[in-house]
Amino acid sequence: MNALFLAPVLFAFTMVMVIPFFLGIYYSMTDFNGVRTDLTFVGLKNYETMFSDPLFLHSFLVTVEYTVINVIFVNVVAFALSLMVTSNLKGRNFLRAGFFVPNLIGGIVLGYIWQFVFNNVITQTAASLGLNFLTKSLISNKDTVIWAMSLVNVWQYAGYIMMIYVAAIQGIPANLMEAASVDGANYWTRLTKILIPMMASSFTITTFLTLTNSFKQFDLNMSLTNGGPAGMYMMKAVKTSELLALNIYNTAITKNMWGDGQARAVIFFIVLVCISLVQVAINKRKEVEM
Amino acid sequence: MKRFLSLVLALVMVCVCTTALADIKVSNVKVEIDAALKEYAAEYSKTAGFNVTVESVGGGADYSGSLKAALQAGNMPDIFVIEGMGGYNVWKDYILDVSDTEFAKNTSVGFMVEGKCYGFPVAIEGFGLAYNKDLLAKAEIDPATLTTYSALKAAFEKLDGMKAELGIDAVVSIATSVSGGMTWVTGNQNFSTYLSCGLPYGDMTIIDMMREGKVDTERLTEYATYVDLLFNYADQEILVNGNYDQNVNAFATGKTVFCHQGNWIDPNLAAFENCPPMGFIGEPFTDKQEISGLMVAAPSWYVVNAQSPNKDEAVKFLEDMVATEAGQDYMVNKAGMVPAFANVALEPSGDLSVDVMKASAKGDIYSWGFGYMPDNFGMQNLGPIFELLAQDAIDVPTFVEMVTAEFANIPALLAAAQ
Amino acid sequence: MQATTAATSSRPVSMRRKVLNWVKVIFAFLLFLLFMVPFILVVMNSAKTAQEISLSPVTAPSNWGQLITNVVNVINNPNFSYFSAFLDSAIITVSSLAVIVLCSSMAAWILVRNKTWWSTLIFMTLVASMVVPFQVVMLPLVQWLRIAGDFIGIKLNGTYGGIILCYLGFGCAMSVFIFHGFIKGIPLELEEAADIDGCSRAATFFRIVLPLLQPTAVTVLILNGIWIWNDYLLPLLVLGSSGQVQTLPLAVSMFAGSYIKQWDLILTSTLLTMLPVIILFLFAQRYIIKGMVEGSIK
Repeated sequence: MNALFLAPVLFAFTMVMVIPFFLGIYYSMTDFNGVRTDLTFVGLKNYETMFSDPLFLHSFLVTVEYTVINVIFVNVVAFALSLMVTSNLKGRNFLRAGFFVPNLIGGIVLGYIWQFVFNNVITQTAASLGLNFLTKSLISNKDTVIWAMSLVNVWQYAGYIMMIYVAAIQGIPANLMEAASVDGANYWTRLTKILIPMMASSFTITTFLTLTNSFKQFDLNMSLTNGGPAGMYMMKAVKTSELLALNIYNTAITKNMWGDGQARAVIFFIVLVCISLVQVAINKRKEVEM
Repeated sequence: MKRFLSLVLALVMVCVCTTALADIKVSNVKVEIDAALKEYAAEYSKTAGFNVTVESVGGGADYSGSLKAALQAGNMPDIFVIEGMGGYNVWKDYILDVSDTEFAKNTSVGFMVEGKCYGFPVAIEGFGLAYNKDLLAKAEIDPATLTTYSALKAAFEKLDGMKAELGIDAVVSIATSVSGGMTWVTGNQNFSTYLSCGLPYGDMTIIDMMREGKVDTERLTEYATYVDLLFNYADQEILVNGNYDQNVNAFATGKTVFCHQGNWIDPNLAAFENCPPMGFIGEPFTDKQEISGLMVAAPSWYVVNAQSPNKDEAVKFLEDMVATEAGQDYMVNKAGMVPAFANVALEPSGDLSVDVMKASAKGDIYSWGFGYMPDNFGMQNLGPIFELLAQDAIDVPTFVEMVTAEFANIPALLAAAQ
Repeated sequence: MQATTAATSSRPVSMRRKVLNWVKVIFAFLLFLLFMVPFILVVMNSAKTAQEISLSPVTAPSNWGQLITNVVNVINNPNFSYFSAFLDSAIITVSSLAVIVLCSSMAAWILVRNKTWWSTLIFMTLVASMVVPFQVVMLPLVQWLRIAGDFIGIKLNGTYGGIILCYLGFGCAMSVFIFHGFIKGIPLELEEAADIDGCSRAATFFRIVLPLLQPTAVTVLILNGIWIWNDYLLPLLVLGSSGQVQTLPLAVSMFAGSYIKQWDLILTSTLLTMLPVIILFLFAQRYIIKGMVEGSIK
């Protein structure tokens, strides 16, 4: 009876998670090219070459940059929005829903839409208004492409994070804020002395949510820029907006280097484990303090 | 709730059991012939006794990836496409020897390895600098004189000075960007100029050096200087940001005099009303010799999946495409291709295709070398370098240096693919 | 906004407040419009011809009837089979959700009600697996599914069954975790009473526990539903980009990814892809927001 109820989950989980996970660690130490059936065991060679490949190093750095930008901007924008839609504003429910909508659409579709916005709408509008600095598409300029991609991500993700903040704000007893207001605390004081400290735990959640989500970005990256435009790094031509997940995909599948791609994926996994361990540690410390 | 769930479960079971397969699956990489090929396959299926379905994969970069996914998914097509030795090496376990077929006997450009024929040439294609006949005439430039780098440069300068008069935005239309998906034009096709332009057809000197990871620095520098010339006189927006449509449309609407593309743009040009007459010149990248010919080859081949249970039907489909009137009509008239078979007498109607046909009849052609590079090397490794040159982020010597550095990896990549 | 302290008479304050409030409302709605701009552009340009779009992507369309023409063109386009892709997406999403909710709740219940070393081990393994990014398992997964499929004689790659299995495998960890948290709070007495009444253990679950799980099931449905409906990489690998079974995101990317960029058709295709989700959201807004927020906090 116990076994019967557990069986479907355990079967599926083993099939798609456990076995592939260990197979993957094995593949990362082979020269598998995705098609051939005879593999050679190469030990840690794929891990060594990875760290001397400028494409991977660049991709790693860009991913970190992208992640930092997004953690900051998604949260700042989301927090500002949450303050706005929890104030006694007319139509605040309507606004909430509106800000949330981009979150429902998949990254692939959004990528194509924003490609149109960046390449056609913004450039043409700028040209007709005489704004010369905007006539070159923001996603074909290597200095702006990461920011452009972040803009899309903030637009997509802020509404969701906003909802988490809204839930947290609504969880704060209303009389607390009223009492402070009566005591003469101005808005800023109420915000920094009551609201933000009361929301500490949701800040931890949202920070890690945005952190892992930006770090794992793939769909949007693929359909919006496909890694372009080209740039230079360590005397190699690299794709300036190729984030790690896309780099792994391209290495393994487009360049026929599954072994190398798999090794990168394992490193990717280790980074995410580290991030999660930090999160767990912070949560533990918080619980102790409370 | 319970009844609903059991209903859904039943639905799931039904779905699991009813995934029917078509008899023959053809995987096509030429998006521009998609509609014609599908129509022909449907027509063909009516009388053949088996079904032929066509699946087209758009954009060069996706193709080998999607084929690999299809293989992993157990969905491997019965007929698929390779683009040269790189692809052959990856897929050789899945490629059937078709030396004994009629079509193999009727073509001189089948995919040959060690005297055996493995591939059905999809079409003869040629590329170079397509030009607008009216605009060149108006500028009083005779295209027949544009056979050297200096002559081309002089012509570009003259045209550039006549922009207002000719009503053009720029002299050349060429696109390079990774995000626009145009690296097949630069990293593969244009780069073939370095590999084989100006050499006797099928000459392997430069390609053999490439396979050893070496470059002919002098030739590469000449070539890079030529590329830089094209880029300097190109419409900059299309150059660094454009896609195929923008690339072709600017040319079709007379906004540029030249366009770096191949005869496959004929159907796109035909879609424009009042499209002016067009012609082809080659890729005059040097002053050391006159380049009068076009880059012409059978750049891709249909291969039959050797592990497919339906391989006989797949071969028959290809045989009939060449042997029957309907098949020939499809290749030449419907799909607008230049056929690669001696027994096909029909002639294509597009201006550029006619030029390709004339050039190959005269034997005034150079081969394409990019198929000898490792799989996807041109688009993935070289493409971004072209884009850098297009952005003016690097100069010609740096371009040469970077290509040289990439070449150093080739022997290892080729060895890994063996 | 420091209105209350400095004010001597209440009238000017309320005037100032009113104005301030209106400024806030206007600002909020401008911001809202800004958020909606991409969607507005999609709708507007879906009602234009390619030429009109290239002339000006920001002006209103001259003829809204073009929207119908574009929709018909997209639906009839041989490279974009909207209805079959929609149907495939729907079948895959609905079936996967049903399987996930049923199997995960069953498993979670067993794990809560049996406090032994193995239940702890299973639970901790599931929780730990949530950290594993898809990229680590994606390459071996397709390989393994093929081997396993050959072995058991059921094709797993490129079929509904295979991808539903994948969604159960990838979705179960979080779903079990959420159900686990909720079931812990269900008093054991309820189940014991049922046992005494002669219910079998299985019947106890289906008659007593499962109905209680409804609000949590909504959370699980929403979280997994949005993920599965929009998912791209897993279907790309398991179904193939041009296989028999093709989800909407795959169809759109195949259609838009080809190097012939016809924005009139691409935008119309994205509109058609977004429409079902947005319609669903309009009807089930409250549940969707609640589900997604609760899922993330837990």
